[in-house]
Amino acid sequence: MPKTAVTRITHSCHLIEIGGRTFLTDPWFSTRPGYYQGEPIAIGIPDLPRLDGVLISHEHYDHCDLDAFAAYRDRAVPLFVAGTVVEAARKHGFTNVTALAPWQEAEVGGVTITATPAEHGVYEVTFVLRSGSDAVYFAGDTLLIPELAEIPERLGHISVALLPTNGLHIRPADDMQVVMNADEAAELTAVLKPELAVPHHYAFTKGFLGDRLITRSDKNPLRYQDAVRDLAPGTSVRIVEPGIRIEL
Amino acid sequence: MGITTQYTVDLDEVGPVEVSVAAYGSGQPFLLLHGGAGPQSVTGFAEKFAAAHDVRVLVPTHPGFGGTVRPESLTSVPGLAALYGALLDQLDLTDVTVVGNSIGGWITAEIALLKSPRVSGIVLVDAVGIEVSGHPVADFFSLTMDQVFELSFHDPEPFRVDPATLPPAAQAIAAGNRAAIAVYAGSAMTDPTLLGRLGSLEIPTLVLWGESDGIVDVDYGRAYAAAIPMARFQLLPGTGHSPQLETPDQVDHAIWDSADTDFSAFAR
Repeated sequence: MPKTAVTRITHSCHLIEIGGRTFLTDPWFSTRPGYYQGEPIAIGIPDLPRLDGVLISHEHYDHCDLDAFAAYRDRAVPLFVAGTVVEAARKHGFTNVTALAPWQEAEVGGVTITATPAEHGVYEVTFVLRSGSDAVYFAGDTLLIPELAEIPERLGHISVALLPTNGLHIRPADDMQVVMNADEAAELTAVLKPELAVPHHYAFTKGFLGDRLITRSDKNPLRYQDAVRDLAPGTSVRIVEPGIRIEL
Repeated sequence: MGITTQYTVDLDEVGPVEVSVAAYGSGQPFLLLHGGAGPQSVTGFAEKFAAAHDVRVLVPTHPGFGGTVRPESLTSVPGLAALYGALLDQLDLTDVTVVGNSIGGWITAEIALLKSPRVSGIVLVDAVGIEVSGHPVADFFSLTMDQVFELSFHDPEPFRVDPATLPPAAQAIAAGNRAAIAVYAGSAMTDPTLLGRLGSLEIPTLVLWGESDGIVDVDYGRAYAAAIPMARFQLLPGTGHSPQLETPDQVDHAIWDSADTDFSAFAR
């Protein structure tokens, strides 16, 4: 039985190995003024393994870097995306693009991909990948919303959760919160009850001035680890540098 | 004290350009660009800012200013922007905040328009460069130095000098600066295309303006900020066209503590 494993490439971009298949989440392989990973990009596009599928949660550049990802060697790779990403993906030459709305599912080589709800500044979905008794939940950068509590009821046990934790706020939009914070991510962890949880999206920076003028965020993932210790003591939190592969 | 280094930067269509860069402190990088008043109008602030915050502030002397040589084919503000964009590449700097005063602010805007990922934010301090109907840039070349001081400062007295009393070397440098301003910025100190191009910027921007600026007035500054989608405008009281000279603590506070000011201050 192939191992379920996760390798964080950078930010919310991961390689997920499940059921002998390999999936990429929220590709981000370049930088722009005011958009920085704040950590290395562990694997470049030429060095990506053969992908069985790509999941894209929403169209924001730091989750949907199609300009860079279009250099991937096979643009017939199946893309499972939020509906708002379809047109851009096709424009970038990807030929096998499927929009998944919450609770819709697709199947690739024995792995079931189910889109799940999300809420962010723009339309977004999260995803559950399942193969047999293993399931990986991937949340790009959603807020904590009540609908997420339905995931274990509807889709069964989650083994691994990949969650944002930086509680990103947009200062000029009345300091609106657009991403769950460490405590909220721990609350969701308590609902999902995975064996393993990996925080992401915390190193992101808009640069010296952007972090002051535009965004406000918590860059310390230890807060999530501490909160999970209290709220979901059965879950092991692994804070990993980009490029480190962790097995379930 | 800063450490000054001469760099040779290869620039397309110009060739190798010698540029003198004074560096203050170490850490988070800032590129600080002077205006027509020359590098000494920003070096005091650079030293103070670097010491206060453990950051690295780089102050280039625009070729032709301060007695330096300007290549004949380096004749425009976009040319200077390309020079500094290439310098940032050469120095392999990232997350650079570019701060510019007056013509330095115009160069800063042009650097932002290059959209280099090395530049993460810009601060325009009483910048020139755009055309705003009814709010012309004061005609520097037709003014006496006394008039320039009157228009440039909230309180000109501490800064006023009589050019005739300067030593010959300083007079020669001042004349060189004046010639360089004419070449790079022209007599109008504007580019009619700049305002329209600023709308494409997606870079965090702080626009600081001296309330008593008589060279470019406050409404001109507000128009600058309104043209840049992510710009926040901040008025600095009791200061003129060169706030980093007249009220450096205000500029330091406005940049370093910019997260503390309220969100309604955004231009849009």
